[in-house]
Amino acid sequence: MTAVPAGRKASRKRGGPAKTSDRTKAERKLAYMLCAPAVIVMLLVTVYPILYAIALSVQRVDLRFPEESGFVGLDNYVAVLSSPLWWQDVFNTTLITVVSVSIELVLGLALALIMHRALFGRGLIRTSVLIPYGIVTVVAAFAWFFAFDPSSGFVNSLPFIGEDKSWFGDRGSAFSVIIMTEVWKTTPFMALLLLAGLATIDEGLYEAAKVDGANAWQRFVKITLPLLKPALLVALLFRTLDAFRVFDSIFIMTRGSQDTESVSILAYNQLISRLNLGLGSAVSVLIFIIVLLIAFAFVRGLGTAVPASQGEKK
Amino acid sequence: MRNRSPRAYLASTAALLIVLFYALIPVLWLLSLSFKTPATVSDRKFIPQDVTFENYTSLFAGGLDSALLRPLINSISIALIATVIAVTLAAFTAYAIARLDFPGKTVILAGALAIAMFPPISVVGPLFDMWRTLGLYDTYVGLIIPYLTFALPLAIYTLVAFFREIPWELEQAAQVDGATPWQAFRKIILPLAAPGVFTAAILVFIFAWNDFVFAITLTSSDSARTVPAALAFFTGDSQFTAPTGNIAAAAILVTIPIIVFVLIFQRRIVAGLTAGAVKG
Amino acid sequence: MRRGIVIALAMVVFAGGLVACGADDGSDDGPVTLRWFIFNEPSGGPQKIAERCSQQSGGQYEIEFEYLPAEADQQREQLVRRLGAEDPSLDLLGLDVVWTGEFANAGWIAPVPASTARTVSANVFSSVLQTARFEGRLFTVPIWSNTQLLWYRKDLVPTAPETWDEMIDMAERIGPARGRIQIQGNRYEGLVVWVNQLIESAGTQVLAGPTEVRLEEAATKRALEIVGRLSRSPVAAPNLTTSNEDSARLGFEAGNSAFQINYPFVHPSARSNAPEIFEQMAAAQFPAVTAGTPGRPPIGGINIGVSAYSRHQAEAFAATECLVKAENQLEVATLGGLPPVREDLYDQPAMNEEVYPGYADEIREAIRNGAARPSESPAYQDLSLAIQRAVHPTTKIDPRNLDPAYEELRDNVEKAIKREGLL
Repeated sequence: MTAVPAGRKASRKRGGPAKTSDRTKAERKLAYMLCAPAVIVMLLVTVYPILYAIALSVQRVDLRFPEESGFVGLDNYVAVLSSPLWWQDVFNTTLITVVSVSIELVLGLALALIMHRALFGRGLIRTSVLIPYGIVTVVAAFAWFFAFDPSSGFVNSLPFIGEDKSWFGDRGSAFSVIIMTEVWKTTPFMALLLLAGLATIDEGLYEAAKVDGANAWQRFVKITLPLLKPALLVALLFRTLDAFRVFDSIFIMTRGSQDTESVSILAYNQLISRLNLGLGSAVSVLIFIIVLLIAFAFVRGLGTAVPASQGEKK
Repeated sequence: MRNRSPRAYLASTAALLIVLFYALIPVLWLLSLSFKTPATVSDRKFIPQDVTFENYTSLFAGGLDSALLRPLINSISIALIATVIAVTLAAFTAYAIARLDFPGKTVILAGALAIAMFPPISVVGPLFDMWRTLGLYDTYVGLIIPYLTFALPLAIYTLVAFFREIPWELEQAAQVDGATPWQAFRKIILPLAAPGVFTAAILVFIFAWNDFVFAITLTSSDSARTVPAALAFFTGDSQFTAPTGNIAAAAILVTIPIIVFVLIFQRRIVAGLTAGAVKG
Repeated sequence: MRRGIVIALAMVVFAGGLVACGADDGSDDGPVTLRWFIFNEPSGGPQKIAERCSQQSGGQYEIEFEYLPAEADQQREQLVRRLGAEDPSLDLLGLDVVWTGEFANAGWIAPVPASTARTVSANVFSSVLQTARFEGRLFTVPIWSNTQLLWYRKDLVPTAPETWDEMIDMAERIGPARGRIQIQGNRYEGLVVWVNQLIESAGTQVLAGPTEVRLEEAATKRALEIVGRLSRSPVAAPNLTTSNEDSARLGFEAGNSAFQINYPFVHPSARSNAPEIFEQMAAAQFPAVTAGTPGRPPIGGINIGVSAYSRHQAEAFAATECLVKAENQLEVATLGGLPPVREDLYDQPAMNEEVYPGYADEIREAIRNGAARPSESPAYQDLSLAIQRAVHPTTKIDPRNLDPAYEELRDNVEKAIKREGLL
């Protein structure tokens, strides 16, 4: 049941010209029937709401002041884009994303290599790394919050750490704890994707390289990394976009104070705390656009094909 | 192949210990806090001095009106319903994609991928506004629908990967014997696909179990509030006292099922997580 | 057959919705169910008096509870989301004293009828009653109050300080090992409380009217100077910029603090968690900014509002009248230590003996001198967020150069009352 090397099942063939066109039609009809429910549900909660958000974002809608509603054009966008707070939060979110994904990549690769090379206890290692993956993010955030809490956490009783260190009291340390929580929670995902990638690499290549006198580092750089590239890029794409949505851990740990607010928290504050749906929707739409841009950059710049393209090739 | 020197064994042991420590330390800390009394909760010690079960029992005091029971029932029900529906719908779609010939396959897969990356915060505002007009606000359905949406891509990718491994000759044989594509799907493929379906189900369940953003924005009472959102509703000895012990106890309670899941189904989870991604 | 499955699924989805929606309404026979949305007060006091009132109503109504989160900001988010959705299932609302203006202006709560208003205002502190009014009308009914006292260590401080400067001087003489001052400095409502009380005590206010800024320069700067001085002092709690009521309590119970500004819950808490410190713990009035003037302690607590979308407003107001009766206020005070809003109740012997052993008069005086936050503003939430963002972290306020801090506060408040920009 573990991951199977790519390309093993390229030989399957169906729906050739020998089939009657009735058969093809029936097959297409069945295919659309089968896909329709899932597609409808997926569109229902994404495309329609995002259009709705765009509609809200050009209006003044504040549920606390219902009589003031009306069309305001791009005023909400102007308000958001001219606010230093928005740019601050975009910066914060980018910082969290870049730093946490980089650390995850290094740690994840190390974990994947450990799991790949370990002589024994592989199952145990795999089980333990799956625990962070399975734990509810809010619970993970509480766990680390309690651990770093200056009045009750164990961290401040460790050697070399000030008894009174207020981790959430300044920006640098608050960011560190938030990033650490993200890293702790999501490195396993990265590691497992990379492990599956490692499994597809032919061991023979290493043997050959050894014979040629390549040392471990050279083998890693010349064989492992290039061959791992597809898995690496997919993992990076997923994690980058996931990290950009960071919300739960900040919400629990600082609620955005000490300048640790992310764009998701900003949208939440406008939408839910202030009930200012117009302004909040403008923030939501802008976040959506940023995510689109990131995804686009990955797909174009790094040449990552949609993983499914082989389905069409047959 | 592998170096089996004592040094390698030592390295393996060290790696194992480090990984175990890394993964378990916050869980152990929560466990420790959950057994501490209010007087010792801030003693910073890893081993509780006075062990108490009060943090656990008080979560359930009062039956259905208790702090945790209803949210726990909600969490389990919502996650289960979302899982069943998502996996069913995804299985239909994945079968079509893995098995049938039709234009638009790539569009569906690319669309699903796009949705997997969609920022949930962008839709909570509109969803809140739509749900309150439709009467779905603070209901199971109001949470299940967004969970379905965001879980479907995961389920579809996992299932497509599994379905591609199924020996389809059997189905062809059945079709030669006169079965329709639908009968072939139901009688032959479903039993073979069960392990993959099961894997997808675990992943979807973990996803729905984990959600926080939708749970806090689209619920407002015990009728649909799930555990992650309910943690904010615990109160300590007074309005201003942080219910650290209770939160830790509840956190442990929602973590245990996941750990058990992980222990039992770890191979499947790993296979499922990596199925869609690596083959690209 | 395929279609059958799709339809069946759709039915499952929608049947779930129907069950969830239909569970709500009772029939006309029997008592009306009133749903009281309030945070889960741990002492069980509200539950007890609700049960008592339901019984005494003679079958008119039955009060049920729907719980809100523990934190005030989150309570409000839950309530406004429902009220914004015009949800008819809310009847009684447990409102923080600062939400009156916002809820009344948005039309979410019904004004209190004149006859009820007369009954429920009798003997209530005028400082508390002020928090229940909007545009001169009573919109909510105070049920319990709360206020902060200065808690200090008798063994370290022979006589309680009267002003903030005096307190900081005393603490600095004791030194940071045992003389810390515990206060609420995190970016949340508690910080607004602190800053607002200093501004009031310095002789000005945040607002001059629902949409008009006051913040007289000299007085506001005086208040900010104290915030800056304390925040930068070695005796400030190390976690000052993340501290809240509970971390202040824990800090004081840990034994390294000579002072804490906090609500009365810290007294019973110290009794059970830190008995040695409890022995030395004494209460005094919230310090003043200027010597010779009284301090302006905060007014907290809960006012009951009746939802404008409730289908049972008459019963809800009847229930409110019952819930705030003197004996019920006393019950809540006895069970949970929540200060009554009726001034006359502090003469009851039980108050000074059991509820607030030895400091009932301090609480009465604090509430009497109390200054409410600008709750008449219909955009109080924006105002509060704006103040929080302007002064947090308080360590950035330089007591020797107060111009930037003052400008920022004033700008933020001005923008907030116009509800402009992101917050």
